[in-house]
Amino acid sequence: MIEMALVVGLLAITLRTASPLLLASLGETIAERGGILNLGIEGAMLIGAFSGFLGAYFTGSLVVGFITAIIGGISTVLLFGILVIKVNLDQVVSGLAINLLATGLSLYFFRIAFSQGNFPYLGQLIDPTPIPGLSGIPIIGDILFNQTIFVYIGLLSVPLIYWILFKTSFGLRLRSIGEDPFVASYLGINVERTRFISLIVEGIFVGMAGGLLTISMFNTFDTRIVAARGFVAVSIVILGRWNPWGALAGSLLFGFTQALSLWIGTFLVGPAAPSISQLLSLLPYVVTLLALVVGGRKVRGPASLGSPFAKE
Amino acid sequence: MQLKISKSTYRSILKSLISVALALVVTSVLFILTGANPVLAYYYMFVGAFGNFSLTVETLVRMTPILLVSLGLAVSFKCKVWNIGAEGQLYMGAMVGTIAAVSLGNTPVTLLISIALCILAGMAWAGIPALMKTHLGINEVITTFLMNYVAIYFVQWLIAFPFRSPDTLFPESAQLPAAAILPILVPSTRLHLGVLIAIFLAIPLVYLLMMRSTFGYKLKAVGENPEAAKYGGINIKRTMLMALVISGALAGLAGFFEVSGIQFRMRGSLSPGYGYTGIVVALLGQNNPIGVAISSIFIAAIYNGAFEVSRVLNQPQGIVDFIQGVLIIFVLSSESIMRFLEKKGVIKL
Repeated sequence: MIEMALVVGLLAITLRTASPLLLASLGETIAERGGILNLGIEGAMLIGAFSGFLGAYFTGSLVVGFITAIIGGISTVLLFGILVIKVNLDQVVSGLAINLLATGLSLYFFRIAFSQGNFPYLGQLIDPTPIPGLSGIPIIGDILFNQTIFVYIGLLSVPLIYWILFKTSFGLRLRSIGEDPFVASYLGINVERTRFISLIVEGIFVGMAGGLLTISMFNTFDTRIVAARGFVAVSIVILGRWNPWGALAGSLLFGFTQALSLWIGTFLVGPAAPSISQLLSLLPYVVTLLALVVGGRKVRGPASLGSPFAKE
Repeated sequence: MQLKISKSTYRSILKSLISVALALVVTSVLFILTGANPVLAYYYMFVGAFGNFSLTVETLVRMTPILLVSLGLAVSFKCKVWNIGAEGQLYMGAMVGTIAAVSLGNTPVTLLISIALCILAGMAWAGIPALMKTHLGINEVITTFLMNYVAIYFVQWLIAFPFRSPDTLFPESAQLPAAAILPILVPSTRLHLGVLIAIFLAIPLVYLLMMRSTFGYKLKAVGENPEAAKYGGINIKRTMLMALVISGALAGLAGFFEVSGIQFRMRGSLSPGYGYTGIVVALLGQNNPIGVAISSIFIAAIYNGAFEVSRVLNQPQGIVDFIQGVLIIFVLSSESIMRFLEKKGVIKL
């Protein structure tokens, strides 16, 4: 039975480490379905993490932190949206600009808010909320129903976003823009407005994905806190073929890899243990790259993805 | 030799100057918000970068890795291959160069072999995402960025365990042998040979490669119109692959120069993000080697000047990243801004 408990623990951690990736990749799936490749997602997550931390720290309320994280995410993604939709700048380079800007802003204002050598942390974190009744179910209860609100939101959003993308007229409009904005525009679809709506939704998800890092996972802020999770999420979108269910599968794979490397680390004994456990920190990145080699070759995304749309 | 500046060159220079001016104005807002006088802030920034001889030398020392990285990135960006993995390529170059130098010890060829190997390591590390792009069609932005993390964590592991220094407490490599250390050119400064190599060898070589060779012509053709380039018989994949690998070579060299000119040991904190700074510099210099050279002095001055600003005006260091982020946005928008100004008749060329 001890082995069983260990496996249940591993799977529960998998969902937890997968949650930022799941939320971010769901958001990115929506944006990319409309033809917008947002590589500024890394920076938007960072601002989400930062604003969530500030909100929770200065009001002492995690609810406020949750909301400020979302506001931070939306603002950053909207700034990106203005650059690529209104000013019509290159999407890839604008994304990189957003990432640098986010690092600069958060580093700067973190030092304004907290003096050098001060390592602030929150009094409380968003901890797992067991769902009454369901969390008591053996095995499944511990894995699925004793999680944080972020895991629940992520899991419930998968069918919701699938439904929005593939069963609603908004989803149809968004996808047709993603395939060919010129044709969509010709057919009377408001390309700019639809894309902005998709980016606001992305901002909400990415803000949550970033916010959970500070107010639920690490209890502190550092400009390196996102650690490429945004780019891993973009990879997951490719591997998941721009489908929310694919994003779920991809996020679970990477959550599992990360959980596994932490898990193995705790079992190692002997003189080589610290060495191996440090080397394992490479695993999630290596697995992402390998997964791209295996599953990301010559996949076809939305046809207009990343290309500019200028109405003449 | 007569120096003739064409109208389009003049326009390009103006575009970069407008970007810089706007970025500095926006950054002023940040200073004002935190109660600092922006004019004073920029004054201290200038003083911190060029206030006296030794500060100026330090700015040149700071410029060297930025210059090498951004020259390489200019090659890659010219054909629209977005290598954002220079940071990782820099670390791998530095690490392999260090291992070579420490293993060889004091021999007459230690420095040369280490330099050759650091370049190869940078090339190899860039070659992986390059092949993934050309042969599997995987977006290089994602792969090069992820490989930064692989490189940095791998290097941190190498210097914490297999190649850890036997004589210090920190996770760092052993000290380089004397034969692997770049000579200092002016006593009691840190002006090392690498600075000269970057200025007098790297700039002309990249200039010749980009402006005077068929490869440079191919880069431009692939970047501007890949379809036409294909019809013109240019091997697009090969050109992109070469471009990415060349940028890796220069990043690798930048990394080892930091070890053998400045740190003398491989450390986990070798680069404060030169790989990302190089992106800003290459774009600000509009992928032109001369423009890149001037831009890298400018950015190096901001790096070093920011220390003075933070010391005197108590401003946080984040200002360096912030200026870069704002700058990159204005560089991207500069063509639109320029057209707007021309339409309004503010600028006449």
